[in-house]
Amino acid sequence: MELYSPEGLRIDGRRWNELRKFECRINTHPNSSDGSSFIEQGNTKVICMVQGPMEPVLRSQSNPNQANIEISITIANFSTTERKKRLKNEKRLVELKATLERTFEQSVMCKLYPRTVIQVNIHVLAQDGGLLAGITNAITLGLIDAGIAMYDYVSSISAGLYDTTPLLDLNTLEENDMSTLTIGVIGKSEKLALLLLEDKMPLDRLESVLAIGIAGGHRIRDLMDEEVRRHGNLRLSKVNV
Amino acid sequence: MILSPAERSYLYDSLIQKPPIRPDSRSGHQFRPLEAKTAFLPSSNGSARIRLMDGSECIVSVKAKVVLKSQESSLIECDIDVSGNRDDSNFVSILKFNLTNLLCQNFPMDVLQLTSKYSYKLFIDCLVISHTSYPLTLLSLATYLALKTTRLPLLVSDVDDSEVEEQPTFSDDWDKSKYLKEMVSSNSKFQPPIFITLGVVGDNLLFDPSTEEEQVLENGLILSWYNNKVITPISNINLASNSNNSNFKGMDPILISKSLALLKKYCGEIVDALDGIIEHDDATEGGIF
Repeated sequence: MELYSPEGLRIDGRRWNELRKFECRINTHPNSSDGSSFIEQGNTKVICMVQGPMEPVLRSQSNPNQANIEISITIANFSTTERKKRLKNEKRLVELKATLERTFEQSVMCKLYPRTVIQVNIHVLAQDGGLLAGITNAITLGLIDAGIAMYDYVSSISAGLYDTTPLLDLNTLEENDMSTLTIGVIGKSEKLALLLLEDKMPLDRLESVLAIGIAGGHRIRDLMDEEVRRHGNLRLSKVNV
Repeated sequence: MILSPAERSYLYDSLIQKPPIRPDSRSGHQFRPLEAKTAFLPSSNGSARIRLMDGSECIVSVKAKVVLKSQESSLIECDIDVSGNRDDSNFVSILKFNLTNLLCQNFPMDVLQLTSKYSYKLFIDCLVISHTSYPLTLLSLATYLALKTTRLPLLVSDVDDSEVEEQPTFSDDWDKSKYLKEMVSSNSKFQPPIFITLGVVGDNLLFDPSTEEEQVLENGLILSWYNNKVITPISNINLASNSNNSNFKGMDPILISKSLALLKKYCGEIVDALDGIIEHDDATEGGIF
């Protein structure tokens, strides 16, 4: 199978620097959570539900200086083409969870919510590459919907290296065949809140991959911002009546 | 939310009236309003999402796999994942047992047959994202919708392979795929079984009790409905799972026959309403929310 044709087309017909269809919604579960979002990045679909900031169940979970962010990830058995039963304490999931918690502890103004816990529940309904990117974007939107103060958007995207060409926003087929990194960009800056590289990538090519990733992250941020503003205007119009 | 003794007593007294006065002003046989969406998961054969107005939500996916009949004990496998509950907890196991049992015993298995050796196996995965009241009805209604919208690819190879070693092959064209309902024999209708939960207070039977009502019920009934009649198992259960229900007590057997009559009267409408949802669900219309 040819992942990248000499004419510069990928298997799904995109160019090297093109994103997949990105759609997002916020406030999808107004009755069951304080903040919620749903994102579709290509065929990857993620639901995020945020509860809090609230009083923790156990005293031991509360930190007198800042809020505690707890993330739980459920990957549905049916999320991949081949059905597979997944355990909650799978190593990969525990690692993802730790990565996300560290990222958002830095990006949320945790100091403003001492002695509270922010519970984030993630449900992955379908995955087709860019799992961490999808989850990160969903959490960003969920936290915004919950009205939790953040320094800026964390927009995340995966990028890979095919031979010498950097490719943006990989799907499963591409992800399995090349080295991939996922980055989380802070707002419109070039600062990264998150970087995950699970395999090897030549150091001299890293810069071009990061550059395309950051550009993609900015585009994702714009798309998320559009949705947040659309929803904000919708709410505002209801207040005025 | 756990009610105070005063609230419990008030609620109990209003539910035991004739007719019962329910906190959300429903009549005894009325369901809570729900919204649903079907066929939104591209990698599943069938999918459905149901959400009640209190935020309870359930997503069901049906996936089919070709299996050798001789190696499978059952052609349907259910799995339930309830957010916030362990997979091996009593609560989840009971839900899983109920649903698996109902579907395995009351399903037209002949629609899954492919050849004399091979058949489809259905994997039904339920994800309860959030729930307040006992989620069994929610699960079974979502399963109903998912099964109704399940499509299976068209078999193009020979049906009879008892003599030859041949693996079934399928048409690549997804437009030629068939809904399960098109595969049942023409004189019967494809209507998967559903569960209805009833709450018992005094002589009153309440359809689809809400979480507040569950805390003051004297008993709970789980009935199943298939092919336009009530079928076994009929079981009773304490629906209040998050608090001690001090009102819980035995039940007058007359209420069971009364509940059968009630179901006969209203379940047809429930199933028609679900079929209506599928008919009006426009697959082309945007996202799942």
